[in-house]
Amino acid sequence: MPSLLIHEAGPQTTVQDLGRRGSLRVGIPPSGPMDREAFLLANRLVGNADDAAELECTLIGPRLEFADERWVAVTGADMPVTLNGVEMPRWAGVEVEAGDVLRLGAARSGVRGYLAVSGGIDTPPALGSRATYLRGQLGGFEGRALRKGDCLPLGPASGGAPAEVHEETIPDYTVEPTVRVVLGPQDDRFTKRGIAALFDAPYEMTPQSDRMGARLRGARIEHTRGHDIISDGVALGGLQVVGDGQPIVLLADRQSTGGYTKIGTVCSFDIGRVAQVKPGQRLRFRQVSVAEAHEFLRAYRREIDDAVHTEATS
Amino acid sequence: MGIYAEPRFLPCGDLALSVELGDDINREVNARVLALEYLIRQQSLGGVTETVPSYRSLLVYYDPFTVRWDELTKSLRALCREARPEVLPPARTVEIPCCYGEDLGFELAAAARKLGLQPDEVARLHASTDYYVYFVGFTPGLPYMTGMPERLEIPRLDQPRTKTPPGSVSIGGIQCCIYSVESPGGFWVLGRTPLRLYDPSAADPILLRAGDHVRFRMISRVEYDAIAAAVAEGTYTPRTERA
Repeated sequence: MPSLLIHEAGPQTTVQDLGRRGSLRVGIPPSGPMDREAFLLANRLVGNADDAAELECTLIGPRLEFADERWVAVTGADMPVTLNGVEMPRWAGVEVEAGDVLRLGAARSGVRGYLAVSGGIDTPPALGSRATYLRGQLGGFEGRALRKGDCLPLGPASGGAPAEVHEETIPDYTVEPTVRVVLGPQDDRFTKRGIAALFDAPYEMTPQSDRMGARLRGARIEHTRGHDIISDGVALGGLQVVGDGQPIVLLADRQSTGGYTKIGTVCSFDIGRVAQVKPGQRLRFRQVSVAEAHEFLRAYRREIDDAVHTEATS
Repeated sequence: MGIYAEPRFLPCGDLALSVELGDDINREVNARVLALEYLIRQQSLGGVTETVPSYRSLLVYYDPFTVRWDELTKSLRALCREARPEVLPPARTVEIPCCYGEDLGFELAAAARKLGLQPDEVARLHASTDYYVYFVGFTPGLPYMTGMPERLEIPRLDQPRTKTPPGSVSIGGIQCCIYSVESPGGFWVLGRTPLRLYDPSAADPILLRAGDHVRFRMISRVEYDAIAAAVAEGTYTPRTERA
């Protein structure tokens, strides 16, 4: 059977597709890639459907071996990539042969790297998705992060073609990002000063961040009266502020509902930027309206659609 | 105050909005939330991609390129007028077998002392009424329930535990909780059910649904072990009936 053999797994490498839909109502998060843009581009570079499963690597990537010919692409965090010990380009489709060994090193910038393989990773879907939900031991490869010796099934390889992402589209994760936020649903529970604090000064990523949420540290965000609410649904990007006045951005593996005030919501198109901020690195927030957010979303989707340059289209 | 005259639409970023129907926790408001969700699903309301009910609001995820904010809120406002509890299909009662006390209900004796009751009285009272599931969430399959006898109202633990085993049946404040996955916890653990509220290996991993009624049945340790074995083999079917 065509497969991918894991020689070294890295600290947290998981199988992810675009995520589970429809299960939040029973408390199961969508999971899926933390950086959707890097994920989509990797799949497109190898000619896969957008929803094909890839590997998401965290801070340090895996070392793995191919059992047959494939096209591969590595995107996301700036992890040095080698093929049989020779440096391999990132953000580009590359052909590999049976027995080739690919290695993704420690991220020089960014946090999450993506490896797409033509044909996709073909682990059995759970609730309609191959995305790994670690806390719930659901989906992916046995519901867990990969380990040395794991052997991942691959789907039938379709034809690939040399392709690369336009240089100007490749993000620079060393730059402090500004992410866009729509106020609400509970912005009325914060003082004017509290809301101003969120948008005035940068916030620092803390090491307590994971796939569930990005815990940030910075200027205190002041409540009007307490931080408890009647528990309600938590959207992707929900900016939850608890008693200490520090924000948490809720991400792919978030709790479906929660009992804390949410001052705003980070827009979907900037979630990937949050996911690439290393602990100790900072980011800023900028306020936008719902209508503006939809215009930015349209531009973001167009940018992704135009990002990949293949030989056929050159 | 209870139910609002008009629903509130609260933005939750570029892909979701919250429809808030009332200002407190009560079954009438919650039934309307569940009815609204039911109508959206039944009519496959255009552009809606996912819904998440909670006590008094429904989180609605949507695709802004299929439906605009003003179109969506207009449709939702109309549906809110129809979203009465009567539109919901009949509710079901799910029986949850529970072994109270001893090592599985390791805080039953301490909770009884705190409440000035005997441990068996606490267990009997806890199993004496039907509970209502407002919604399921936070962790996979965790029910938010009401209906606990007032006599069992108890302050939460001073020192929350770092780990609570899944299936633990516990009380805190006026609430009863069944832990669905291993979690930290501030509730008093009275017993444990051998049923799995969340079973990632099952085709349908979730036992309880929003709107369900729950009845606890006291079981012995011997029966607990027997049911746990049947659950592990996949041969146990939970008892349900129309509420």
